[in-house]
Amino acid sequence: MSDFLSYFKTNWSAMTVSDWVGTILTVVIFLLMFGMYFWVLRPKNKEKLESHRDLPLRDDDINSEKNDG
Amino acid sequence: MQAKQQYNFEVVKWFAYMACVYLVAGTGMGVFIASQLAWPDLNFDNPYISFGRLRPLHTNTVIFAFGGSTLMATAFYVVQRTSGVRLWSDKLAWFTFWGWNLIILGAIITLPLGLTQSKEYAELEWPLDILIAVVWIAYMFNFIMTLSIRKVSHIYVANWFFLAMMIMITYLHVVNSLSIPVSMWKSYSIFSGVQDAMIQWWWGHNAVGFFLTAGFLGIMYYFVPKQANRPVYSYRLSVIHFWALVFGYVWLGAHHLQYTALPDWTGSLGAAISLAMIIPSWGGALNGMFTLSGAWDKLRTDYILRFLIVSLAFYAMSTFEGPVMASKTVNALSHYTDWTIGHVHSGALGWVAMVSVGALYHMVERMWGTTMYSVKLVNLHFWMATIGTAIYITAMWVSGIMQGLMWRAYDEYGNLAYTFVESVAQMHPYYAMRAIGGLIFFLGAVIMLFNVTVTIRRAIAKPSAEMATAANI
Repeated sequence: MSDFLSYFKTNWSAMTVSDWVGTILTVVIFLLMFGMYFWVLRPKNKEKLESHRDLPLRDDDINSEKNDG
Repeated sequence: MQAKQQYNFEVVKWFAYMACVYLVAGTGMGVFIASQLAWPDLNFDNPYISFGRLRPLHTNTVIFAFGGSTLMATAFYVVQRTSGVRLWSDKLAWFTFWGWNLIILGAIITLPLGLTQSKEYAELEWPLDILIAVVWIAYMFNFIMTLSIRKVSHIYVANWFFLAMMIMITYLHVVNSLSIPVSMWKSYSIFSGVQDAMIQWWWGHNAVGFFLTAGFLGIMYYFVPKQANRPVYSYRLSVIHFWALVFGYVWLGAHHLQYTALPDWTGSLGAAISLAMIIPSWGGALNGMFTLSGAWDKLRTDYILRFLIVSLAFYAMSTFEGPVMASKTVNALSHYTDWTIGHVHSGALGWVAMVSVGALYHMVERMWGTTMYSVKLVNLHFWMATIGTAIYITAMWVSGIMQGLMWRAYDEYGNLAYTFVESVAQMHPYYAMRAIGGLIFFLGAVIMLFNVTVTIRRAIAKPSAEMATAANI
C-alpha cells in the first residue's frame, strides 16, 4: 500500500462506541451544514432571508436611550 | 407613578465605561511587560511584577476584563434593541456586572502572587473558575430569556453570534477547567500529558474563535449597519458566515500543537480546516465592508465608522495569516517565534479592540443622547490605534521570521549556526519597536477614556443646566 493510501487506512475493529458516536455525529452535522447552505442559497428563499437585513435600523425610537437607564 | 422604562441601559452604561477603563489598564500593562522584554532591568528582581506573573494578568485584563465587558455591554444593548424588549432580569444583569468585576479583581490579586493553573488564557485557580462559570451562565440565561420574550419574530443574526459565543464558552471553560483542588488556591488538571495539551488548545483556539471572534462578529453585524445607517450587505452571507464559523472553529485547536506528541493526523486536520476557514471569514469581512457600498464617502467624515471598517480589514488579514501559519510548512518556521505574537496582536489590536472601540463610541453617543466631546480626539485615537498596531505587528513579523531562520540555520558541518542567546540579542531593536507601537496604542486608549469621561460628564450636567435655566424663566 502506498504511503498516501495508508493515510486513509482505518482499523474498523478498533473503533470504540465513542469513536462511532463521534464519527456519526460529525457526518450528520456536516450534512446538515450543507443542507443549510443549499437552503440559504436557493433563489426561492432569497427574498425571505434578505427581508431581515434592515432589522437593526427599524428600532430607531430616537429617544429610547435618553429615557432609559 | 412613572412607567417602567422600556430598556435597561444603566447596566450597559457601566459595562461600557468599565470597558474603556480596562482597555487603558490592560494595554498599559502590555506596554510595561513589552518594555521588560526589551529592557529586563524593569523586572526589578521583584517576583510580583516579573514578566512571568504580569503577562497572564495582561492577557486576562485585555481579553476578559476589556473584551468581556465590551461583549456584555454590547450583547445586552443589541438584544434589547433588536428584540424590542427590556432585559428579562435587571437583578441578574447587575449580578453579572458585579460578578464579572469581582472575578477581575480576583485575577489582579492572585496572578501577581503566582497563583495560577499555568493554562494559557485559563490561568485563574479553581475558586475563580467556578465564579466565572456561575456569572457566565447568569449572563447567558438573561440573554436567552430576553430573546424568549422578544416582540420581534425574527432573531437578528448578531444575536446568533452572541449566543453561539455564550454556549460554546460555557462548554469550553467548564471542560478545560476541570481540576482536582488540593488547597484553596492550588489545583491540578484532571487531564494529563498529551490529552491535557489537546484539551488546553481546544479551549485556547476556541477562546479566540468564539470569545474573540464570534462575539465580536455579533458586534460587527449590529454596529456597522447602525453607524453606516445602511442595511447589512447580504443577510444570506451572514447566515452562511455564522454556520460555517460555528462548525469549523471547533476543529482548529490542534494546529497549535504541530510537531508535538499529538498524533500527526490531528495537526493535519487542524491545518486543513484552518485553511478552509478563510472562506467564511473573508465572506464575513466583505459582508461588513460592502455594507458601505454606495456610501464610502461616509468614511471621510465618520471617525467611528473608520474604526469599524478598519477592524474588518484587520479581521480579514489575520484570518488569512492564521491559516497560513497553521499549515505545517509555515508552522515549522513560525511556531514558538514572535511571529505568533504579531499575529495575535493583529487580531487583538486591529480587529477586537478596533471593532470594540467603534461600538463603544457609538453606544456612548446613543445612550447618553449626546455627541462625543471632541471628534478631533476620536480621529487622533483612530490614527494612534492604527499606527500603533502597524508598528507592533511589523516589528513582530520581522523579529519572528528572523528568529525562525536563525534557529534552523546550520553551518557546513551540520552544527547550529547560532546559539539561542545570539537570537535573543538580535531581537532587541524589534522588542523596543514593539514597546513603542504598544505605547502609541495605549496613549490612544487614554485619549479615548478622557474623551468618553468628559462626554458623559457633560451629558449628565446638561439636563441639570437646562432645568436650572427653565427654573429661572
